[in-house]
Amino acid sequence: MERLSIAMISDFFYPVVGGVENHIYMLSANLIKRGHKVIVITHSHPPDRVGIRWLLPSLKVYHIPFPVIASSATLPNFLTFLPYFRTIVLREHITLIHAHASLSSLGHEGILHSHLMGIRTVFTDHSLFGFEDAASILTNKLLVGTLKNVDAVICVSHTSRENTVLRGELYETDDTNKHSKRIIVNPNVYVIPNALVADKFKPDKIARRSDEITIVVISRLAYRKGIDLLVATAPRICAAFPQVKFVVGGDGPKLIHLLQMRERHRLQDRIELLGSVPPSDVCSVLNRGTIFMNTSLTESFGIAILEAACAGLYVVATQVGGVAEVLPEDMISFANPDEDDVFRAVSEAIEIVSEGRHDPQQAHERIKTFYNWEDVAERTEVVYSAALNSPQRDLMERICRTMQLGPFAGPIYTIILIVDCLFFLFLEWWSPREDLDFVVDHLQK
Amino acid sequence: MGHWEKVLWRRQPFLDNYIPPDAFLSSLRTNPNFQPYTYWSVVLLSSAVTQHLSSLFIFLGIYVRLKDLTLHPHLLVWSSVCCFVVGYVAWVLLDLSGGLDVDYYANFVTTLKSSILMFLALMSLSPVLRTLTAATSSDSIWALSAALFLLNILLADYSSSKLQGHTQERLTSVLSMNAAISSSVVLASRLSDDLSVFALVLFAVEAFALFPMFRHRLQDSPVLFQSLLTITLASFSLVLTASISTTITWLFFFALFGITFIAPGVLIWAQRYKNEIRGPWDVAVPRLN
Repeated sequence: MERLSIAMISDFFYPVVGGVENHIYMLSANLIKRGHKVIVITHSHPPDRVGIRWLLPSLKVYHIPFPVIASSATLPNFLTFLPYFRTIVLREHITLIHAHASLSSLGHEGILHSHLMGIRTVFTDHSLFGFEDAASILTNKLLVGTLKNVDAVICVSHTSRENTVLRGELYETDDTNKHSKRIIVNPNVYVIPNALVADKFKPDKIARRSDEITIVVISRLAYRKGIDLLVATAPRICAAFPQVKFVVGGDGPKLIHLLQMRERHRLQDRIELLGSVPPSDVCSVLNRGTIFMNTSLTESFGIAILEAACAGLYVVATQVGGVAEVLPEDMISFANPDEDDVFRAVSEAIEIVSEGRHDPQQAHERIKTFYNWEDVAERTEVVYSAALNSPQRDLMERICRTMQLGPFAGPIYTIILIVDCLFFLFLEWWSPREDLDFVVDHLQK
Repeated sequence: MGHWEKVLWRRQPFLDNYIPPDAFLSSLRTNPNFQPYTYWSVVLLSSAVTQHLSSLFIFLGIYVRLKDLTLHPHLLVWSSVCCFVVGYVAWVLLDLSGGLDVDYYANFVTTLKSSILMFLALMSLSPVLRTLTAATSSDSIWALSAALFLLNILLADYSSSKLQGHTQERLTSVLSMNAAISSSVVLASRLSDDLSVFALVLFAVEAFALFPMFRHRLQDSPVLFQSLLTITLASFSLVLTASISTTITWLFFFALFGITFIAPGVLIWAQRYKNEIRGPWDVAVPRLN
C-alpha cells in the first residue's frame, strides 16, 4: 500500500491512561512500522504536555492549548479548532484523519473540517451508549451529525457496531416492502477488535500453592463496573470457599462500599484492596491470582478480560455488551448480572481451576494467536484505502445530507457547516498557504 | 464461505464490513416492557389533578366571599370542623375496611390533641397574620399568591399509591403544600377581621395539607367512590366560581374537561409513537438479594 500521512485526532491520549489512549498509541506505532506517517492531535495537559512532543517510535503529538471541561474532554464548539487544524494538516501534508471516541469533541471537529482540505475521514467508536437518558439523546444527535459526512466507521466489537449503526443512523431504510421495514447498513461500517501486546501479559512460571485460590479484580470502582455485585458476592464466596482470597485493584467512588463490606464481614485477611494500580504493575497483580472476575454492567470490548486471560487467569465475567465475543467459551465463565448467578459462575470457575482443567501457559499461547496489533493495523489499512477510494462528497451533497438530520438539528448543523466554510475562506486569506512552514519529510525518498 | 459467528477472537473468512443478514441486530428489542394504557384507567388517574384543581378553586371562591363579607366566618369555621370530622370518620372506616390493626383509641386521642393544639395556635396567631403584610400593596399580594398557587399545582403529588407501592412523602409534595399554605396566609392578611383570618387559614390547612393525604389514600378505593368525589368537588367549585366571574368559570370548566377527558385521549394517541430501543449495549441492572 502506498505511504499515507495519517492524523489521529482524539481528546483522549497520553499522559492519561486508558483503553482509547492505548489503542491510539498502539495503532499509530504499528502503522508507522508499516511505513506510514502518523501524527496525533490532542489537547494539552499543562504544565508539561504542551506544544509538540515526540513519542517512540517517531510519533509526533500536537497538544492543542484547549482547556478541559470534564473527564479529559474539551468543550464542543465546532469552530475554534479550525485554525490549528488547518495549519497542522497542511504543514504535515496529511491525507487522512482518524478520529477516536464519540465523546471527543476534537474528533468531531476534525471530521467536520476535513473536507475543506480534501482530506478523508475515518472514525472509531470505542464505547456503548443507551438511547433513553437525556445525555445519550444529545450526544447521539451530535454523533449522527458528524457521521453523516464521514467516509468510514470502525467499531471495536459486533455489539458495538450494532449500537453505533443505530446511534449514528448509518443505514438506509428499504421502503420497497411496506410491511416489514428492513434496514440496509452502509457498507462503510467495519468491525476491527482491539488487541494487546501478549508479551506484556505472561503467566507466572512459579508453581503456585494449589490449595489456595486468589481471585483478582482490577477495575475502576464505579457503579457501571458492577462493583455492587462484587460487594454482594465476595462475602458469600469467602464463606463458601475457605481457600479463596481476593485481590482488588482500582480506585473510585465504590471503594467505600468495599471497605464497609470487608469491615462488616471481618474479611481483612481475605480481601486485599490495592488502590489504583499503574499500568506497568497490572501484570504483576494479575500474576498473583488464578481467577479474574469482571462484574461490569456495560463493556464494549473488555480489554481487561483479555489481558487477564492472556496472563493465564481463568475469567468470570458478566455477559454484557461485547464481552461474549472476546474469548472462546472454554476460557471464560459467563454470569448474568445477578448476585446468585455470579456466585454460581465463580463457584464453577473455582472448581475448574482447582481441578487443574485450566492451563495458564496454554491459554497464553492461544491468546497470542487470537489478537495482535500487526493484524489490527493491516485491517485498518484496508479501511483507509476504502475511505480514500470512496467518492468525495461535494459541499452541496453535504448540505443535503446534513439537512436530513431533522427539522431542528438539520438547519443548525447546516449553518455550522456553512459558517465553517466561510471561516476557512477567511483563514486562507489571513494566513496564506504559501507562508506556512511545511514539514520536511526526511524519510521520504 | 463458512458460517458467520459473532466472535472476535477468530479471524473469519468474511470482510470486516460484512453484515450478517440474520444475526445483525437480532438481539434488538423494541418496547420490551410496554404496557398500553387504556382510556378509562387514565381518566380515572387524571381525576387526582381534577380534584386538586377543584379544591383550589373552592378555596378561592370562599376567599372572595369572605373578603366581600357575603360569607360569615362562623359558618366557614363550623363547616370546616364538620368536614374534618367527616374526613376523619372516612379515614377510620378506610382503615377498618383495609383490615389494618391499629390502636384506634390511642390514635383518636393523639388526633384530638393535635387538632385542638392546631386550632388554638391558629386562633392566637390570627391577629398577627391579619397585619402581617399591612405594609405591602395588594397587587404584590395577588401576584405572589398566584405564583405560589401555580407552584402548588405544578409540584403536587398526583401519583397513585397503587402504582408506587409505597407512600413515602416526596420533597416536592412538601414544597407544594408549603407554597399553598404560604399563599393562603398572605391572602388571609388582606381580610378585615381576626375571625375571618382564622377561618380561612383553618380551611387552607384542611384543603392543602389534609385533603391531599386523603385523596392519595382514596385512590385505592372503589371507582364509584372516586368518581363521585371528583364530580362533587368539580361541580361545587364551578358553582362557587360561577357567581364571581363567567369568563373564569368557562375557562376553568374547559381546563377541567381538557385534563380529565382530552389529555388522556392525547396520551393514548401518542402511545403509537413509542419506540424504546433495547439491546445488549444497555447498562445492565444488577439484581441483588
